Amino acid sequence: MAEVRYLLFESASGYALVERKGSEEIGVQSEEAQRTLTDFGRFSQICSIKAFLPFTSAENALANINDISEGLMTDELREFLESNLGKALKGGKEKVKFALGVADSKIGGTVQESTGIPCVCNDLVQELLRGVRAHFAKLVKGLRDGDAEKAQLGLGHAYSRSKVKFDVNRTDKHII
Amino acid sequence: MKGGKKVIIEPHRFAGIFIARGNDAALITKNMVPGEAVYGEKRITVEENEVKVEYRVWNPFRSKLAAAVLGGVDNIWIKPGAKVLYLGAASGTSVSHVADIVGDEGTVYAVEFSHRPGRDLINMAKKRTNVIPIIEDARHPLKYRMLIGMVDVIFADVAQPDQARIVGLNAHLFLKNEGHCVISIKANCIDSTAAPEAVFAKEVKKLKDEHFKPLEQITLEPYERDHAVVIAQYRAAKKAK
Repeated sequence: MAEVRYLLFESASGYALVERKGSEEIGVQSEEAQRTLTDFGRFSQICSIKAFLPFTSAENALANINDISEGLMTDELREFLESNLGKALKGGKEKVKFALGVADSKIGGTVQESTGIPCVCNDLVQELLRGVRAHFAKLVKGLRDGDAEKAQLGLGHAYSRSKVKFDVNRTDKHII
Repeated sequence: MKGGKKVIIEPHRFAGIFIARGNDAALITKNMVPGEAVYGEKRITVEENEVKVEYRVWNPFRSKLAAAVLGGVDNIWIKPGAKVLYLGAASGTSVSHVADIVGDEGTVYAVEFSHRPGRDLINMAKKRTNVIPIIEDARHPLKYRMLIGMVDVIFADVAQPDQARIVGLNAHLFLKNEGHCVISIKANCIDSTAAPEAVFAKEVKKLKDEHFKPLEQITLEPYERDHAVVIAQYRAAKKAK
């Protein structure tokens, strides 16, 4: 099976493509591996950001989360993956030596089908993504402290408002 | 509470929580949005160093977390600056107190699936900017993975038969190593035919299977019947040999 060389991390700020530098299969539950994943200094030596695509607007972010949560691929994501991993794909299917680690097997299926990039979703990928989630603000250059939370707050409200069927401007009176 | 000058505010042993002592004692949190109640709860204003500070009364009959605090748990792990994933946020009444506790430096990710209480949750979160409302099913944490960072504590009050599994799914994605979970278990919601104690023991066993190490367990008498709160640590470090 192809080796997981890249990881896709979806955040409220945008999409990140993470490159794995080390290639050895780490035993994910071992204490040593966990220490590497939790310590930023050591984690940044095995994983780094290859590319980051920030969402252009609140509407853009909302459109993306709506599709991602259903396991669908947006045009932004397709372009992002093809422009960054496209070269490696040119050699034809047999020559693809890497796999893209994704959080959700559903989105993995969609990506693989429409771009030909082989996707993997297993325990190793989940552990690596935990590391990316923990160190995200430090991994992405140009993202200041609190920026990630601000993006989450804005997108959380937008996503939740779009889900609620009731008029959000009305509130129920609490009976005490 | 009237006669504000007679009320004395004391810090509780948990940071971010206070006790008001007047004619009777009440658990309170510092109101992040002075001048407004969230659900009609009482407010207390006192002058501290000539600055007016407002507190909100936290009712243990309405909040299982408040009941656990009054029940005397060792640690709730929810403290100023903490990041909390709150599963089963309902209309956000308890969430608002958790938001008061974690303060501006902390964040509460509040997940609720039902739309009607969700609407009230969103409105509460408009005023408290450290609350991120998420209207989604806690059974499918992947759906809201874009909205959440790593958290220190998961609080769960989802009252579902597969509660332990739901907490596990969320912990694997979002809970830091050695982070904690605080779970409220309603025996009736899991198995109404078995004895509550047996149900609690079974749930603790399920948590162990999800890499949690149980730390403490208390029942919520006299505030709730057949309820227990279990506090456990996720992927606890093994003791050095």
